[in-house]
Amino acid sequence: MQLVWDNAEFLLRGARYTLQITLVSMIFGVLIGMIVALARISGIRPVRWIARFYVSVIRGTPVLVQIFFVYFGLADYGLRLGSLTAAYLALSINVGAYLSETFRGAILSVPKGQMEAAYAAGMTTWQAYRRIIFPQAARVAIAPMGNTFIGMLKETSLVSTIAVTELLRSAQLLIAQYYKYTPFYIGIAAMYWVMSTLFSIVLHAVEKRLSKAY
Amino acid sequence: MMIRTTGLSKSFHNHEVLRSIDFQVDKTEIVVLLGPSGSGKSTLLRCLNGLEELSGGSLTVNGVDVDSAMSHREKNARFREIRRQTGMVFQQFNLYPHKTALENVIESLLIVKRMPKADAVAAGERLLKRVGLAEKRDAYPSRLSGGQQQRVAIARALAMEPAVMLFDEPTSALDPELVGEVLDVMRELAGEGMTMVVVTHEMKFARQVANRVVFMDGGVIVEQGEPASFFQSPQTERARRFLNQITGERGDKE
Repeated sequence: MQLVWDNAEFLLRGARYTLQITLVSMIFGVLIGMIVALARISGIRPVRWIARFYVSVIRGTPVLVQIFFVYFGLADYGLRLGSLTAAYLALSINVGAYLSETFRGAILSVPKGQMEAAYAAGMTTWQAYRRIIFPQAARVAIAPMGNTFIGMLKETSLVSTIAVTELLRSAQLLIAQYYKYTPFYIGIAAMYWVMSTLFSIVLHAVEKRLSKAY
Repeated sequence: MMIRTTGLSKSFHNHEVLRSIDFQVDKTEIVVLLGPSGSGKSTLLRCLNGLEELSGGSLTVNGVDVDSAMSHREKNARFREIRRQTGMVFQQFNLYPHKTALENVIESLLIVKRMPKADAVAAGERLLKRVGLAEKRDAYPSRLSGGQQQRVAIARALAMEPAVMLFDEPTSALDPELVGEVLDVMRELAGEGMTMVVVTHEMKFARQVANRVVFMDGGVIVEQGEPASFFQSPQTERARRFLNQITGERGDKE
């Protein structure tokens, strides 16, 4: 384990990238997820179809293929992305599709009477969504969203394949240098575990806060 | 005239729920809609503020006209205008569960009327006091009894200072011992000259408070009149049968 301590700084830099990729992809993923969820319940049919097609393609193909497509595939069409940018893009698009399903279900779980009460009180559709429907949907969405986030944290290890030096690749580089596997893999496993546990604690606190009325 | 419908029709998937209804309510009048379930009385009420889309005909509420032939956009805008002038109370209360009693009451004052927060809170506290729930201002709906929830819902509907109040079976979801407190608030409101349209199965309330009873069956108005004469000597066979069933079931024939 001494090797891990000696190289802690290098590994922590990798962990920082892992965290950064997770957070950035989560933020954009949430935005994409919300837009796609609204598209899927919208009254305009072609909008609904496009949204459904997107979700179906992303959920029906491996993340690794999506990452390769964004990094190598787009380059064929002259769009050369840096590996970090490609990681952000691929993972945001991926997590957005999963979250859109979560958000859609959460919105549909709010009883119909809530919308009627908001309308009867004179609100516009947008006001009703913003003030009445979304806050109630958020409470329902938070737990599955947390699972997606924690899944995301671990999936970031896949971008090591496009030369992003996140946590896994940091370990691999050290392994190539020292020819020792176990200490580094145990070391990064522990770091992943600490990070996902911290996520869980934060999400649990948010969930509790959103549920205080119930 | 506060409300007038002309040839109002409503169909769900080829099933006609309302057949060309002509219906009026005067200012300060209290009208009770009676009828067996499926008679169309709740649908009629919900058409008045556009919670159900009209299939045909037209209506006027407090001077705002809506015709089923208008464009979607136009109808939406007009119903929103109507909703700002009508309060509605639902069978299932439909309070916002993530907001306290006070927040429920002032929500549309803040969002629809854009009233300053301090004024809205003052108005909200006044309204909660009026329905006897001043001390529950910070309670969430989940902590309130059904009767208390419905009284908060009435306060919420009154917050917009509506010209007319619509009640859709306001006591049907309540335990029997909680019905009285809600009816008391409604009686008080009636005494203050509020225009009210009430769908209910509370015959005693209809008899004591209504100025007019409208009996519906099969999507049409079968009979209407003053409560005293309607309950004592209904003119139609259908109304007689309905009254017999109701009083028979409940064993409270007077």
